[in-house]
Amino acid sequence: MSEWTRSASMMPELLSALLSGALTTIEITFFSFILATVIGAALAIVQSFPATLPRAVIRVYVEVMRGTPVLTQLFVLYFGLAQIGIKLDPIPVAILGFGINGGALLTEVFRAGLQSVHVGQSEAAFMLGMSRLKALRYVLLPQAMRVVIPPLANYGVGLLKETALASAVAAPELSFYARNLVTKTYLSGPIYVMAATIYIAMSFPLSRLAQHLELRASRGRRAP
Amino acid sequence: MIQLLGDWLPQLLQGVLWTLRLMVLSFALAAVLALPIALARLSANGMLRLLAHLYVELVRGMPSLTLLFLIYFGLPNLGITLRAIDAAVIGLGLNGAAYVSEIYRAGILAIDSGQREAAQMIGMRHRQVLRFVILPQAVRVVLAPLGNFAIALLKDTSVASLISAPEMMLQARDLTSEYFMPLQIYVAVGVMYLLMALPLASLVRFMESRLGAGLPKEKAV
Repeated sequence: MSEWTRSASMMPELLSALLSGALTTIEITFFSFILATVIGAALAIVQSFPATLPRAVIRVYVEVMRGTPVLTQLFVLYFGLAQIGIKLDPIPVAILGFGINGGALLTEVFRAGLQSVHVGQSEAAFMLGMSRLKALRYVLLPQAMRVVIPPLANYGVGLLKETALASAVAAPELSFYARNLVTKTYLSGPIYVMAATIYIAMSFPLSRLAQHLELRASRGRRAP
Repeated sequence: MIQLLGDWLPQLLQGVLWTLRLMVLSFALAAVLALPIALARLSANGMLRLLAHLYVELVRGMPSLTLLFLIYFGLPNLGITLRAIDAAVIGLGLNGAAYVSEIYRAGILAIDSGQREAAQMIGMRHRQVLRFVILPQAVRVVLAPLGNFAIALLKDTSVASLISAPEMMLQARDLTSEYFMPLQIYVAVGVMYLLMALPLASLVRFMESRLGAGLPKEKAV
């Protein structure tokens, strides 16, 4: 147990290093969440149009992203692109990778959201002379958000933990710092327990928020 | 390129076998461990409920990577040294059990309370109600989400490469350090994951549509 007493004396420096990693974790999570949401919403809207070619392309994108591990995708972006001369830094690679991966998941989420809005709503909007885009903007999307927000929040919670994989492409986030500290101090037990605690401390409020949103969305829903 | 693919294939296929083995073993561990956790979460005993809830919240609150690191790098200091592949099976199994227990819990709660009441009325004990009435019906509800969990798990096994368990991603890393062609190698690996995930996904869709139809097909005809 000397491992734990030794780590107790080093607590301040271990903790400050891990917490600065946690900031990068939050940064990667935040920006990939935004990117994924934009991609998901845009592609779901394109999919709602009748043109078949873009729909088929989006379908393939979604299946490929959902059928392969994020880690593989990150490695293709980081090591694969470098091979053909496109050298990206670890943090942008992580944001891009998680964003593109999450975009596929959220395309499905937004599609389900748009489909949940009754056809009568868009027909009524067209009757009022709204264009397809106007109807989307003012009638369909606001109503779809109700269905979309709970899974969106759950995706955010999952994403926060998934960003740990960014350590494999050397993005200086929480897991990366934890690993470096372990190679420096050999205090693997205490350091990984601390890292796990920080992850839990970050994801707990988020998952509470997700639960709250889910509850709110299910209240007062019209029966189908 | 074709020639190179031929060179890589034996090692990649070996990776596929390890990946599948890792997935099957951790799936089995998760599926078995999850049942007592789900039952504890629904038990009348407050202490059991609390412990099970704590387990689920803690495990679901941390990345599976952190759990794998804890097991593989943390336990040796306590005198427990595991092979990377065993640490991966245990880590992914413990992690998965938290998720699967929620699937089981939802499945058990989905069974109409009238079923339980009727079973108690005809004199079944608590254990018998669970064994003969609730669980057999819950299996139906649970199958499709379990399938989705299996697909997620297949992809999650890639994380095991980071503790150097010899699955597909690790074989790919080996190959890249030998051939310096990460783009082609990782794309090839992506295709192999896809070839494993797509059949699973269509199986899940099939289960979903069948269970969604309510009645077994032969009765409808």
